[in-house]
Amino acid sequence: MSATALKFRQASAGSAAFIAYSALIYLFLYLPIVVIVLFAFDAKPVPGLPLAGFTTGWFAQASADPVLVGALLTSTKLAFFSAALATALAMPAAMVLAWFPTRFKSLILCLVLGPVVLPQLVLGLGFVSLLRGAPNLVGEPAIVLAHTTMTASYATMVLYSRLLGFRRSYIEAAMNLGANELTVFREVILPLTLPALIAVFLLAFTDAFGEFIVAWFVAGFTKTLPIVIWTSLRQVISPKVNAISTIIILASLALSVLAQLWVIRQARPSARVGA
Amino acid sequence: MTKRAGDIELVKVSKRYSGAAAVDDVSIAIEAGEFVTVLGPSGCGKSTLLRMVSGFVEPDEGDVRIGGASVTGLPPYRRDTAMVFQDYALFPHRTVAQNIAFGLRMRRMEKSQIARKVDAMLELLNLAGFGNRRIGEISGGQAQRVALGRALVVEPAVLLLDEPLGALDLKLRKQMQAELKGIHRKLKLTFIAVTHDQEEALNLSDRIAVMNAGRIEQFADPETIYNRPASRFVADFVGEANLFDATVIGPGMAQLVGDGSTVALSGDGLPPPGSRLTLAVRPEAIAVAATGKGVAAIIEDILFSGSVRRIVGRLANGQRVTAMQPAAAFTPALGQSAVFAWTAEAAWIIRP
Amino acid sequence: MERISGGSPTILPSQRRRRRFALAGLAPLVLWQLVFFVVPLLILLVISFWTMRNYRLEPGFSLENYRAVFADPALWRSLVLSLETAFFVTLACALLGYPVAYFIAKKAGRFRIVLLIAVIAPFWISIVMRISAWRILLGENGVINQALISLGLTSEPLGGLLYSPVSTAIGLVYAYLPLYVLPLYAAIDRIQDSWIDAAKDLNAGPVRAFLEVTLPLSLPGLVVGAVFCFIFGLGEFVTPALLGGGKQLLIAQIIQDEFQRRQDWPGGAAIAMVLLAIVFTLLLLSMRYLRIASGERP
Ligand SMILES: Nc1ncnc2c1ncn2[C@@H]1O[C@H](COP(=O)(O)OP(=O)(O)O)[C@@H](O)[C@H]1O
Ligand SMILES: [Mg+2]
Repeated sequence: MSATALKFRQASAGSAAFIAYSALIYLFLYLPIVVIVLFAFDAKPVPGLPLAGFTTGWFAQASADPVLVGALLTSTKLAFFSAALATALAMPAAMVLAWFPTRFKSLILCLVLGPVVLPQLVLGLGFVSLLRGAPNLVGEPAIVLAHTTMTASYATMVLYSRLLGFRRSYIEAAMNLGANELTVFREVILPLTLPALIAVFLLAFTDAFGEFIVAWFVAGFTKTLPIVIWTSLRQVISPKVNAISTIIILASLALSVLAQLWVIRQARPSARVGA
Repeated sequence: MTKRAGDIELVKVSKRYSGAAAVDDVSIAIEAGEFVTVLGPSGCGKSTLLRMVSGFVEPDEGDVRIGGASVTGLPPYRRDTAMVFQDYALFPHRTVAQNIAFGLRMRRMEKSQIARKVDAMLELLNLAGFGNRRIGEISGGQAQRVALGRALVVEPAVLLLDEPLGALDLKLRKQMQAELKGIHRKLKLTFIAVTHDQEEALNLSDRIAVMNAGRIEQFADPETIYNRPASRFVADFVGEANLFDATVIGPGMAQLVGDGSTVALSGDGLPPPGSRLTLAVRPEAIAVAATGKGVAAIIEDILFSGSVRRIVGRLANGQRVTAMQPAAAFTPALGQSAVFAWTAEAAWIIRP
Repeated sequence: MERISGGSPTILPSQRRRRRFALAGLAPLVLWQLVFFVVPLLILLVISFWTMRNYRLEPGFSLENYRAVFADPALWRSLVLSLETAFFVTLACALLGYPVAYFIAKKAGRFRIVLLIAVIAPFWISIVMRISAWRILLGENGVINQALISLGLTSEPLGGLLYSPVSTAIGLVYAYLPLYVLPLYAAIDRIQDSWIDAAKDLNAGPVRAFLEVTLPLSLPGLVVGAVFCFIFGLGEFVTPALLGGGKQLLIAQIIQDEFQRRQDWPGGAAIAMVLLAIVFTLLLLSMRYLRIASGERP
């Protein structure tokens, strides 16, 4: 009996060590986020300890700052366009890659995946070189083009792996019942993959919204929120920036958690289809 | 009394998962060299019992003894057992030969000796020439044999097999049953196998432990299990049985509850008149006739299966009775009344 | 309609129709990536052979830029420094991430999905925001220094926290840890418990079972995570620029400097091509593991 107890104690000691270690890693991952949120609500004009007292004033100031608000709106608009374009490009390509015997499949996958592994700096510089031939695209159009290129990559990969697990018998059953391709897409594929599509859109949106470096190279006089924050980082960080970051971070966390939840749920074969 | 390495004893072991007992106060003693199967429906706790012997599950209560010594609390890698896993659990990153060699390497055996033993094992299992195959490149039957070889090669005191043939098709299963039996005869190790297939249990084992809801209902040789079931559950689960509730009405006489027919009983030490008991009668021991002594029933169904014919009737109390008859025997018509009869010796008495 | 042949991956009735569908589905994405990914890279490649005269690009074919890259000891130093940094960050992410990935995959029970998502989520927050947070934490009067002083662990603020290789490393590890945990988790999740049980049953102790079964079977995840971590670490620009302080420049900063401050596009493009060559060599070398990790049979 005592041997059992001992072994149990060893096992739970092992688990406790695992839990403690993992808790430290999670602390590391969320410490910066906590700091930003904390100082967004602290009265001290220069972020630092000790805390000076609770205030929501920085949020009011941030929302009255035309540069910050303008950048926020610009980023939202551009990220929306990029995400929509990326999803629209990715879905048909992913369907073909997953369901059709395609020649040059590896080559196409490399082409699709390329922008993910390419150092972003190099992609940015490549875009700068490209824009020499089309200088009037510099600014908002260029940012959308660049972000679409980057996000279409993994949008395609996520959808591709999702569609690989799609039960092809659904499509075959529908066709057997006399549906043509368009009907099959509308009646079968779209409803079943809609959560994945939304998830991919949300991830692309979040990523395009926060992307800094490529945008910075091709922005011209356009100011996205990351660019504005980068500029402000050159001086002392204003709590106003923390306030707006807090809103963005909480929104990004919510969106990405939602999106991941969908992607992961669907990747599990036991999950209900379309849950 | 000296114990041999292959003697296994479970003493009042229990295991609960969130309140529900998976194994409930089980005691069983298995002798070295025996081939024992644990038979029971899915979820009755067979795997849990086996994993207690191998050390993957610690009993909440009770003691596990191997070779007379308590191993409770010892981790799996300190026990002289080897297990054939339900899904084989062959290492996908190792070849067939490397899989078989694994346990020997863990025992720090010399390289040349390992090679010799692995070759001998491949030979024994008709796998010669397959040593360098990857696990993904062999068939289900071969995978089963590799799993067996990997466990056998370390010469454990006890070999544990969790539904060893469950993943094979019927033909392969029959063939592997014979091989397994042959290997057991040759090696004379203690084998404990778990199965939900009663035919497999009857074919393979020296003794069968029939398990139900975490308890062992009966532990005996196949003959006894089949002909002398100790409980309603055993009678019903092993083979097919007609179970009748009856009341003793006199010496060698009982009356079926709710039916009124009287049947003869044999054997000594019958309970006194007025006691309730259950009779188990195998379908093949029942004869059907148009008239005569016996239990009257309305014929509900007649099924032909090759040389025999299954005749299903319904008694006056609503209970079904099944008889198995040679095709040449009397055949009643559907919806007609017929008499189902058996000898006193064919009715096995199960006391409540 | 033709019959759908059993077993083949065919889902559309006719061969020609199928090809037209495939083409229509792939063409937009492929064209897009050609124009906005391949063409820019080709332009950079071409520019890397041009020369710069009086702040004007002059077409031609000159290997001078590449010669200059390999002749410049300062460049070599930052290339080596970049490789070292990327290596250290990769190693740190592997060591920090493995136990967490293992915990999530094997021990977390029904909290698995929640914990996995919680690891990945910070990755989606804008890099500039994450870095501004680290500046608040690591600065001379930053949160960590103030906390250490008020705890009495040190009397003077540690000056070397921000604007040092340490802060760059922290920033990079922070950025890429989630990226590393993901493939590790996927690889460890695929390891069946019964394989580990079988090893223990055959007398492998916990450590031996880990070395013989868990570690080799999680190797694809380890390699894939390492490759991505290393590649991204090598090309990172924002983190070293904002946390590193600029005393020792990493290769990405040098490239940016060539382009934007010194306006020497051909020189910068040549360095970028060297960086790309390293990245693609690494990818090619690890291709086998990338394919295993993406679900193909080994
Ligand atoms: N690790 C476990 N955690 C919780 N419940 C378990 C566990 N293992 C087994 N059980 C439960 O114990 C019972 C017996 O399981 P098992 O021994 O696997 O049955 P069998 O092998 O006879 O099908 C089942 O109800 C099962 O759900
Ligand atoms: Mg079982």
